[in-house]
Amino acid sequence: MKILHPAQLNNFIERLAKAWEVRLPVLLPDGTRVIGSPGDGPPALHGGAVMGKPTSAFFPHHGTLFTSDGGKLEGPQNPDLPLFVLGFTPRDLACLRFIDRFFADGLCDDVYFRRRNNALVAGLSGLCGPGGIMIPPAGGGCDLEFFCDGSCWLVIPYSDGGREVSAGLSDPALPTSVELFRQAALSQPDEQEELLRRASELLRADRVPDHFWAEIGDRCIACTGCNLACPTCTCFGVQDWRSAQKTERSRMWDSCQLDGFMREASGHNPLGSEALRSRRRIHHKLAADPEKWGEISCFLCGRCDAVCPTGIGMVAVAREMVARFG
Amino acid sequence: MKRTLTVCPYCGTGCMFYLVSDGGKLVGVEPSVTHPVSRGGLCVKGWNAFAFVHHPERLTTPLVRRDGVLQPASWDEALDLVVTGLQAVQEKHGSDAVMFASSAKATNEENYLLMKLARAVFGTNNIDHCARLCHSSTVTGLAETFGSGAMTNSISCIDETDVILVIGSNTTEQHPLIGSRILNAVQNGTGLIVADNRRIRLARHAALHLRHKNGSDVALLNGIMHVIIAEGLVDEEFVATRTENYAAQAAAVAEWTPEKAAAATGLEAGEIVAAARLFAGAKRAMILYSMGITQHSHGVDNVRCVAALAMLTGNVGRPGTGVNPLRGQNNVQGGCDMGALPDLYSGYQKVADPLVRDRFARAWGVPSLPAAPGLPLTRAMNAASEGRLQALFVMGENPMLSDPDQGHARKVLEGLELLVVQDIFLTETAALADIVLPAACYAEKEGTFTNTERRVQRARKAVESPGTARADWEIICDIALRAGYRGMCYHDPREVMDEIASLTPLYGGIAYDRLDPHGLQWPCPDRNHPGTPLLHLEHFTRGLGHFSPARYRLPAELPDDRYPFVLTTGRTYFHWHTGSMTRRSHLLDREEPRSFIEIHPDDAARLGVRDHDRLQVASRRGEVQTEARVTTMVVPGVLFMPFHFAEGAANALTNNALDPESSIPEFKVCAVRVERVP
Repeated sequence: MKILHPAQLNNFIERLAKAWEVRLPVLLPDGTRVIGSPGDGPPALHGGAVMGKPTSAFFPHHGTLFTSDGGKLEGPQNPDLPLFVLGFTPRDLACLRFIDRFFADGLCDDVYFRRRNNALVAGLSGLCGPGGIMIPPAGGGCDLEFFCDGSCWLVIPYSDGGREVSAGLSDPALPTSVELFRQAALSQPDEQEELLRRASELLRADRVPDHFWAEIGDRCIACTGCNLACPTCTCFGVQDWRSAQKTERSRMWDSCQLDGFMREASGHNPLGSEALRSRRRIHHKLAADPEKWGEISCFLCGRCDAVCPTGIGMVAVAREMVARFG
Repeated sequence: MKRTLTVCPYCGTGCMFYLVSDGGKLVGVEPSVTHPVSRGGLCVKGWNAFAFVHHPERLTTPLVRRDGVLQPASWDEALDLVVTGLQAVQEKHGSDAVMFASSAKATNEENYLLMKLARAVFGTNNIDHCARLCHSSTVTGLAETFGSGAMTNSISCIDETDVILVIGSNTTEQHPLIGSRILNAVQNGTGLIVADNRRIRLARHAALHLRHKNGSDVALLNGIMHVIIAEGLVDEEFVATRTENYAAQAAAVAEWTPEKAAAATGLEAGEIVAAARLFAGAKRAMILYSMGITQHSHGVDNVRCVAALAMLTGNVGRPGTGVNPLRGQNNVQGGCDMGALPDLYSGYQKVADPLVRDRFARAWGVPSLPAAPGLPLTRAMNAASEGRLQALFVMGENPMLSDPDQGHARKVLEGLELLVVQDIFLTETAALADIVLPAACYAEKEGTFTNTERRVQRARKAVESPGTARADWEIICDIALRAGYRGMCYHDPREVMDEIASLTPLYGGIAYDRLDPHGLQWPCPDRNHPGTPLLHLEHFTRGLGHFSPARYRLPAELPDDRYPFVLTTGRTYFHWHTGSMTRRSHLLDREEPRSFIEIHPDDAARLGVRDHDRLQVASRRGEVQTEARVTTMVVPGVLFMPFHFAEGAANALTNNALDPESSIPEFKVCAVRVERVP
């Protein structure tokens, strides 16, 4: 374990940027926090999970898959420098672990792993949640973790890469461990996790009637924000742009809340109503993914609830579902 | 990676977001979490607002028609041809033989500059923009009744109201972040009345859904006001102290008993009574409206009635109340504010007023300015067909798809001596032009946009424009210089805004250094003024609110034996106007890939039409083929068609019947027949 004083943070980032393409939580001019480049704004490690998918460093909103120029295919360029991404809360790390499995499954997604391989992922925990509340440490699942003890960052490496980048930092004056914080958190019941578990059981037992989904669907304006902010949503659309010189195939984040997502060539859509699509969004995470991957694929990062203009994010819907049918 | 805070280019809600760019290319969008309107959310168009910017069909070089074909040209050649062409037309036919069409997609600074170019350089008041097609009825109607043709309140007032009347606005689709706010308010107990005969999403949440006949709004509103007066629900103190001409209003609605209003609107009398009681019984009630009110041959009368209903119940000048026209384009409010209108300079200052004219002439360094108001855009086509107009300069508009009666529009545009189009894509209108000037899009330039709640916000450049495309303001200034005018040389749009502020009392305190992060709401008369979230607090802008009673008139064209259906037109959620941006945004175009027409299942069954069948739709002006969408969104006898699609263009059918005062076309009602294509 190493220690990083807040006053040393900028120097640390500057040093890192010589060998890494650094991304970290920054404060944008209007007060929005995102995981961005150091030049986007001052570091803003406090405040909890940032707006936007933390996984977008590896799976961007829009990105080239390949270009075809006179029959010659070229894949996307590899990053000039490997990525160093700081800002994953423990829940975000769970999301990253999940999509790593997804993109590695079967035909390994080369475009994703061009960015993901060799990247260093840094977690964020401790007394840096919203309003200074404690985010329990992850204790692993990343290359290194930045734990706020209230005055300094304790930097805990978990991989060789993590040890390498933190090697230049000082050692703490006294032997320190964050494991107690992690154990303490584990011993506390998590109300939201329990909520999701109960909602998942209701869905898998087919105890949520259609009219509930019709009500939720009526409140969905199909903004797609829930999917576009969700770190475990991995669906994408594909487009080809042709010019006289070349064809460029790219992909962009897609959303199961859109009619065209499942529309068949005939025009028929097996998910042809907002009710069915709303059901699908929740059902996929709470019922289908547990079958396929052995776990619920919502890790309660809270982004869909924050981004939804009409209040039908995952936790809000699960809460309503459990209250009415649980 | 770079993040650039800017304003969404689509509707008038004015959401702000960050454009994310990498290596000079846009790669995504992130919402502004702190923005007072979008509050960390966006609609589907906002989330996809980066998607068309680098499209390979962007215009990259000027084009000049040679031997009938548009061919690449240098900026020098193209701009010299523009100037000599416009001057030649004016020498031959007079100053008013040219017209400038400005754009609600362009910035405030660009609208101001095109207005200045028309008036100071080319000596004509023939300048207008697409507000003529959307809210000109509001500008006229609210100016007369309140003294100011803009939203009286702020969007946040939706959170504070007890009852909302939404009339003629499909808010969740056309202003989604306002619509979602209404949905949230309803979840929290606010009463909702929806008056619209399409079963829009808001209707599913409404306490009352009034599916009145297309074009019967005056009858409906007069009926509601009749009940309010008859049942003693008038806010008498407000009427007595804040308004004038109430007696005339009361007399005008006296005959509009619920039964008479029911007969005219097709509603039950009880529905009208219930709406009146719900609205007038609320402590705070607000009205939101849009094209369903304005796009009629009696659009100004509709607006007068809306204003009267608010005054009658004392719902003006307080939080959670007001008359709130939702402006369509991201800068249609600004286009009007900047005087891209034939009778007004910036800040709604009349060209007919010699003192105002003199002030602008002195500021602009010209001996005089034209006094007679110019042509409204919707009258330009007729003026051109009569030979009074010979040259048209179009900046960022696509009248070939957006104007009514497309066949007529095409004939007129093809017959002009000179058509210049400045745009980002080769639109259907640009394809007819003699000269095409490639412009930067919203993500490639600096400026300001004014949203529907009068909030002036900064738009910022995130990436370079393609090829040699230039910002509209730069092109306009270059044209002015080539025409020999030296009063339009600016380093950047900031300097233009300083000039606007110096000449426009409403914008007197607007300056770039005051607009971060989320703008200021006008009126903002001086640099110390904090902006104005609510209008008409102590008194109306015009002093007393003026009741201006309206007589019920039928739409200009009604169904008959030959054309038995009412066709009403509008937009879909996924496309924007003539589709030049959204039809080049993959996900948006995938959602609505082709023209369609909504038809009620009863009508479809009678005509032997199934979902997705090809239909031939004909009006007195033209005919198109489109795809059937069999749905209870519409009532029997009424068809709805969006106007985004060049193939299956709704405006081949619509009627250029104009409101006599605002010159807005009656996009919402015309008569058509429909049959299945064998």
